[in-house]
Amino acid sequence: MSGAVHLTVDLDRCIGIGQCEMLEPEVFRLDDEDGISRVVDGATLDRARAAEVVERCPSMAISIVEDSPSG
Amino acid sequence: MTTIDIATPSLYLDGIPHEGFTRIRETEGLVWHPYGEDGFWAVTRHADVREVSRNPEVFSSAIGHTNLWDLEADALEIRRSLIDSDAPDHTRLRRLVSKVFTPKATRGWEGTVRRITTELVDGFVATGGGDWVEMLAAPLPIRVIMAILGVPDEDAGYLVELTDHLVEGTGAGSSLPDDAYGNTTPTRLLPFNSPASHALFEYAERMRQLRLAEPADDLVTGLVRADIAGDRLSAAEYRNFFQLLVFAGNETTRTAIIHGGLAFAQQPDQWDALRDDPELAGSAVDEVIRWASPILHMRRTASRDTVLAGTAIAAGDKVVMWYAAANRDPEVFDEPFRFDVTRSDNPHFAFGGGGPHFCLGAFLAKMEIQVLLEEMVGRGIRLEQRAEPVRLASNFVHGVESLQLGVMA
Repeated sequence: MSGAVHLTVDLDRCIGIGQCEMLEPEVFRLDDEDGISRVVDGATLDRARAAEVVERCPSMAISIVEDSPSG
Repeated sequence: MTTIDIATPSLYLDGIPHEGFTRIRETEGLVWHPYGEDGFWAVTRHADVREVSRNPEVFSSAIGHTNLWDLEADALEIRRSLIDSDAPDHTRLRRLVSKVFTPKATRGWEGTVRRITTELVDGFVATGGGDWVEMLAAPLPIRVIMAILGVPDEDAGYLVELTDHLVEGTGAGSSLPDDAYGNTTPTRLLPFNSPASHALFEYAERMRQLRLAEPADDLVTGLVRADIAGDRLSAAEYRNFFQLLVFAGNETTRTAIIHGGLAFAQQPDQWDALRDDPELAGSAVDEVIRWASPILHMRRTASRDTVLAGTAIAAGDKVVMWYAAANRDPEVFDEPFRFDVTRSDNPHFAFGGGGPHFCLGAFLAKMEIQVLLEEMVGRGIRLEQRAEPVRLASNFVHGVESLQLGVMA
């Protein structure tokens, strides 16, 4: 394991494509009201997988929270 | 330099000209491809398609057209939908429609998809096979999108007729007189230059009025009532989106299902692998979509001078992303010309190369294909190819008009 990291979604960049929720349904949910992605409270991903999800976001709206506690 | 032709529609009667694409992909920099009196930059490498897709400020969707030919400004304006918009218009529209097209909403439609799929598969198996296009690949997505939109069953035949006329516009051209369906709009101002678009717009407007008066549990209701801080779709925006959904929601998934059926018929080992391990359904769906690459290309237009793959591009140049070529790029795909349902790392660009225009219906398309694979595999049958597919002469849709497949126990 390369350690778990937290992620964040830039709400101004996200346009609700939902690729993140499709890749990691336990971590990302599109909000019912505005259709924009949110990170589920406390959810983390393995760093390598997180990097992949960041890479796959078509809106480039997801980033890894770098000061997040690992574990 | 000798031109490697990839734009002539009749080339595609023999399938995607992959050899030509491979030579272009292997050429350093970008290749300029003549087209009419002008030309376009042919973008064929995965990394370059990605770069163009993810830089919409430089590579615009709103200038000229997203197809190879330019539209006159008034025609472009009247037809404008999500596909040919840039931010901020695109962002606003996309957010409004994304609200009703979420993964969660899509999951809610699974029962409908399964009901329609089961009925069609039953019919196909009962006759021992037949035309896979006419009996399965065409009716499945169109019946799904009609059901989701909320089009009553008794009107579905009429809308199928209209969309068939739109599809003609991508091939040989419209068979309708300009005044068909009571059309009075010059056809150059209509999507696909088809009077059928006029009829589709009228139908969309009637449904809008009905759902505004009396909401129902369907997508049209969602669209006409979608509201972000008081902002709603205008009547014209809704109408153009209805038209986009009816076309994009069926032609693309149809094409993926056609090529999926053909690939499994030609490579029964892949069918067996899926049958032996239903967990492969997810990766099989993506491989079917990569393999099919239903939309062969999309065009962008440089909004300013720029450089891509070391090649200087001038403001106003057409830049055409050939998804079908990027999906065979050996830099990204191991043995790209192998159809492999176990392919786990499959970042194909069949839904676009990323960026804001990523296919809105991606989840729906994937769900339809997955449900179809589940329903077929679960019956312990096999597909057998009985004739060469009859392909469409189109450089835009990887279309097949008919494909005879047999069902074997």
